[in-house]
Amino acid sequence: METTATERNNVVTTGQDDGAPIVFVHGFGCDGTMWRQVAPAFEDSRKVVTYDLTGMGQSDLSAYAPHRYADLDAHAEDLWEILAELDLSGAVLVGHSVGASIALLAAARAPERVSRLVMVSPSPSFLDDATQGYRGGFSCEDLEGLVGFLDENHLGWSAQMAPTIAGQPAGAPAAEELTRSFCRTDPAIARHFGHVTFFADQRGAFERARHPSLILHCDDDALVPMPVAEWMRDSVPGTTLRVIPATGHCPHMTVPDIVVTEMRGYLGQG
Amino acid sequence: MTAGAGPRHLDAAAELIEDAPCGIAVTDPDGRLRYVNATLAGWLDPGGRNGDAPRSLPEMLTLPGRMYYETHLAPMMRLQGFVREISCALQVADGPPLPVLISGVARRDADGGFTRFDYTIFDARERRAYEEELRRAKREADELAAIVRRSPNAILRVDGAGRLRSWNASAARLLGPDETAAQGRPVDEAIAFDAQPGWFARTVAQAPETAEILFEASHADGSVFEVTLTPIGETGLPGQESWSVILRDITRRQSAERQLRVMFDEMRHRVKNTLGVVAGIARQTLARPDAEQFVSRLKALSQAHDALTGNDGAEAELRDLLDFTRREAGGAARLRVTGPEIRLSARQATSLSMAFHELVTNALKYGALSCAAGHVQVDVALEPGHRLRLSWRERGGPPVVAPARSGFGTKMIGQVLRAELGADVSFDFDPEGFCFEAAFPLG
Repeated sequence: METTATERNNVVTTGQDDGAPIVFVHGFGCDGTMWRQVAPAFEDSRKVVTYDLTGMGQSDLSAYAPHRYADLDAHAEDLWEILAELDLSGAVLVGHSVGASIALLAAARAPERVSRLVMVSPSPSFLDDATQGYRGGFSCEDLEGLVGFLDENHLGWSAQMAPTIAGQPAGAPAAEELTRSFCRTDPAIARHFGHVTFFADQRGAFERARHPSLILHCDDDALVPMPVAEWMRDSVPGTTLRVIPATGHCPHMTVPDIVVTEMRGYLGQG
Repeated sequence: MTAGAGPRHLDAAAELIEDAPCGIAVTDPDGRLRYVNATLAGWLDPGGRNGDAPRSLPEMLTLPGRMYYETHLAPMMRLQGFVREISCALQVADGPPLPVLISGVARRDADGGFTRFDYTIFDARERRAYEEELRRAKREADELAAIVRRSPNAILRVDGAGRLRSWNASAARLLGPDETAAQGRPVDEAIAFDAQPGWFARTVAQAPETAEILFEASHADGSVFEVTLTPIGETGLPGQESWSVILRDITRRQSAERQLRVMFDEMRHRVKNTLGVVAGIARQTLARPDAEQFVSRLKALSQAHDALTGNDGAEAELRDLLDFTRREAGGAARLRVTGPEIRLSARQATSLSMAFHELVTNALKYGALSCAAGHVQVDVALEPGHRLRLSWRERGGPPVVAPARSGFGTKMIGQVLRAELGADVSFDFDPEGFCFEAAFPLG
């Protein structure tokens, strides 16, 4: 029997069943739980959907056929299937990093199901492109190095996935959550998806964006330098760039309150 | 515990942290460094000259490590509160990157907010070298396994007693639908060959311990297999041998060979028939002595064709040609042969058999074989450059007189062997007995 997209991608729906839908798309390296300090803030008024990209988290790992997922389109198609299966319309798609690219591609596929995009720390392309004067921040060798590094972490991974928790005081606030391992990824998939993520060039898709969007960019992001944010501000139709004072690539985890406030401001309280 | 024990204890603890055999770093939840112990500082800047010390944990790392920190390490610290044994490399001032393993734990205040992240960092140079070796071996094993998995040949591994241990997909097709039930079954039951019950134990018992065994067998489903048994002497311990069993389906090859043989037999039959017709025409056309001579030459040619049995009719044994000649000469006492066995091409065989026929006919009429005491000595030798040297010496016959002009026989021998085989040919009409020598490359 064919599994449904909601089963395959561990789709979790919370909030108001009749509320305006908002769908969260995580980025490379983790899973839908990345949104746990942001998504609940919208449950009082909206229908909130989180899921794991195919091959990540609690998704059906066996569905990750490398040749199918050799580019981001397959992930966009998955999201499009989820939107169709849940029969959402006018949804806000919120994507982090490569998840923002996936949300953008899915929105282009199903424009009627999407109203707006929120892109958290997006980057249309990590790779420098001297011919176009585009500064993605990384050379080809840098990115090859990262992919090799993911390979190197294969062996360390089994320890990572072990459910033992060392050095945690009993009864720590998140003790219950600690009983399962986060960001668990099959190492072969991590390597493959890492390659797909870091070598993706979606500048064309960003330039052809059909929905209004909010871009949240951290002013101290090691993965996405400021020129990338400026390129998006100048090249993505109908976008609003907001630079937030935060270190790192995951403001939805480090400064979730700021992210929620920015999103509320953009989307309106409703 | 004495009153003075406390402070001394704390001193020791502080010293331990500072000089621990691992690097220790404490950051704020954004990764900014709050504390770096002496060990880690020493690793990062062995000379102590670099004033530009890293300000955050990711800044300590090489670029891939920094990206990994952003995409994995930092999110994991926040989501699960710890990371364990992440493989990274430290950016060392004026030196090559230092492979390390990073473990970390997040500390929280009473409200559950993060206060700081504590990291321990272990020197992983030796472990990295070992892991690299492992990864290389695994890649290699994976590649070989892929070859076995996708091989069109059925490949199985059995233990010393012939019980199945593992097999590839081609073998699975042979094992049938209850493939999983085959585990542990004797291979010669799971794969039965016609008229060869217990083929595994029987063939293995007959073979020397280290040898590869090769045989052909037909399967119940009508296929014919070339079966190779190879001992996998990995443990080297008696009783722990295992064998690889490779079954190559040669059904099609065999039927092609069979067809070729049928065609060849048919062709040979037709050649002989044609020669027979030609002989009949000769008898009808020529005067009796000429006809007899012609027909005997045709017979020699026909015998050469009969000798072409090797390599599907393309090759013949020199010894077989000489056997025909010996029968014509009147037995082994009259034609004595020394030398190694030589395999001849079809062209060499027909040319030589014609030559032998002329020689023996001549010897019977005029030479050593014309009287009871005479005999012919044939010596065969292989020379450097894979050349064959052949000498025909007649002894015990009437005194030899060189002919005034060479007859058809010697002419034919010389022309045919030179032209067809590129042979050096010599005739010697020694009064003691006629001698003939030919030498040519076997190719």
